[in-house]
Amino acid sequence: MERGLPFETGRSSEGELLVSFKVPLTFENAAEIWEGLNTLIARNDNSPLVLDLSGVTKVDSAGVALLRSLRRLCRRKGIGLRIESVQPTIQHFLDHFDRNAEVQVQPPPLREPLVARLDAYLVGQAKELKGFARFCSSVFVVAVRSVRRLRRFRWRETFYYLQLAGSDAMTILFLITFLLGVVMAFQAAIQLKQFGANIYVADLVSLALARELAPVFTAMLLAGRSGSFFAAEIGTMKVGEELDALAVMGFDPIEFITLPKVLALMIAAPLLTMWANFAGILGAIAVSGLSLDLTPYAFMHEVFTAITFGDIAGGLLKAEVFAILIALVGCFRGFETSMGADSVGRQTTAAVVSGLFLIIFADAILTVLYYLLGW
Amino acid sequence: MTSPTSSEAQYALCAENVSLGYGDRIILENINFCVEHGQIVTILGGSGCGKTTFMKGLVGLLKPTQGRFELYGKDISALSAEGWLDWVSKRVGVLFQSGALIGSLTLAENVALPIREFSNTPKEMLDEIVRLKLAMVRLEGYGSYYPAELSGGMKKRAGLARALALDPNILFCDEPTGGLDPVISAEIDDLLLELNYLLGITMIVITHDLPTIMAISDWSIMIDGDARGIIASGAPRDIANSSDPRVYDFFHRQVSRGKA
Repeated sequence: MERGLPFETGRSSEGELLVSFKVPLTFENAAEIWEGLNTLIARNDNSPLVLDLSGVTKVDSAGVALLRSLRRLCRRKGIGLRIESVQPTIQHFLDHFDRNAEVQVQPPPLREPLVARLDAYLVGQAKELKGFARFCSSVFVVAVRSVRRLRRFRWRETFYYLQLAGSDAMTILFLITFLLGVVMAFQAAIQLKQFGANIYVADLVSLALARELAPVFTAMLLAGRSGSFFAAEIGTMKVGEELDALAVMGFDPIEFITLPKVLALMIAAPLLTMWANFAGILGAIAVSGLSLDLTPYAFMHEVFTAITFGDIAGGLLKAEVFAILIALVGCFRGFETSMGADSVGRQTTAAVVSGLFLIIFADAILTVLYYLLGW
Repeated sequence: MTSPTSSEAQYALCAENVSLGYGDRIILENINFCVEHGQIVTILGGSGCGKTTFMKGLVGLLKPTQGRFELYGKDISALSAEGWLDWVSKRVGVLFQSGALIGSLTLAENVALPIREFSNTPKEMLDEIVRLKLAMVRLEGYGSYYPAELSGGMKKRAGLARALALDPNILFCDEPTGGLDPVISAEIDDLLLELNYLLGITMIVITHDLPTIMAISDWSIMIDGDARGIIASGAPRDIANSSDPRVYDFFHRQVSRGKA
């Protein structure tokens, strides 16, 4: 007999290994018994095993699993196994499981080779891109159609989303771009101070903001706040069968859901970009006034000589393009949601990531285009 | 499984003067009842009468504003978080209305979740238990599926497998047959009866499905939203012909005379 084990062992006259349990076969003891029996079987010289259950008063699922796992282990090792002296109630319990659960163990699915997975990934990406292009074109068609019936357009929703994406974002956008102006002014000052060219801080900051940074930062904020919101909202609607309900009632989900969002962002983005320009320049003025001996008046005077209407308009045009892309990709991801709550989360993340990528991608194209056109 | 409960308490569950509500809004008050070991008790009531609130109170998701619940003789309303884990979590299984499976885990992982958390079962046995549990609810072979890939009835059965993972003494079911067709409903009824008979699990089933009530109940408790409490209690065949029009109308699918 081994010390501390929850069972006793012995030999029968026929040389079988006798194991009699002293404790109930339950969740509390099953793990310990399993470990003990495993060592016992490993040390055993392949003589048949006899389990004596006369001392067992209770068996639960863990106990059943223990006996079944043991049976499988013995079969694998070619050891005979017999279970005896089972109390009738427990036998009844065990029989039920045997009747119910003669299940074959399924092999885990094989992992596909790397090339095949890469292939599948690329095909998936291409399909997604195609889907997005098709979505954009259908939004365009629906938009053209709805221009002819403006009275039916959902203006209330448009203003709701305008408030959500626009005015609700003003505080955080101000904070971000104000600090951006501060940082840019400081960075520029370090270089320009060496040449006594402090005044050009104004040129640098205002041009960079108007042409590039204000629209891009605004767009990034919109992608994070509104693109994700659109995706999550539409995704939840899809999971809740609201989209199906709309379709059955005869609404076009694109017209009903997408257009107000796109229009709201198209209105919000240029306004927010102007707001970002304002906040950024305010930040730069604060730094210049405090550490570069530049008065606000001198700063603004320099800004007006450096910057043209074209710079600002170019920035606003960029913002407009970004806004359309963000709204479209947000809605597209929402519609892509499949059943299941985790899908909403995944598509929301995808909306932000694709939105950010599209912003940078469009920015690069537009910047090259402006350069070629001499803007 | 031989003895249905490990406790010596007289009742599996008792409610004493319990009131439940959200903030100042009282939904149910002065609830008193006891459930015997191994019984199947159905809690009935019309839509919006507070059945789900009642269930939340029973499983501890909602603290009673007054009174106490006793589970196997212990006042669970006053338990600490650790005491809760020790006394309640291991004794209680809950089947939620929609199955409430974790969407990011497969069925097998869903069932394994409580076992892995609350016992030190080795991997090989864990897999075996999961297979047994899934077979028990007739979902063998679906272990690698995600909940989103299953039908409503399958989700409920999988939810049941997870609720039974740790062999609870008492099982709460919130509308186990809600939204299912009569055949699948009958299948779930049979499953509950079988589990009750075989494993001796005490069951508290919240439902307003008449065939289910008639098929499985040892005892029924009817609650009413306007009365904010229990209006009838007894074997379903006895209370079906109650003189109380609210109870009678419920059992005979009649438009309420008060509201018609």
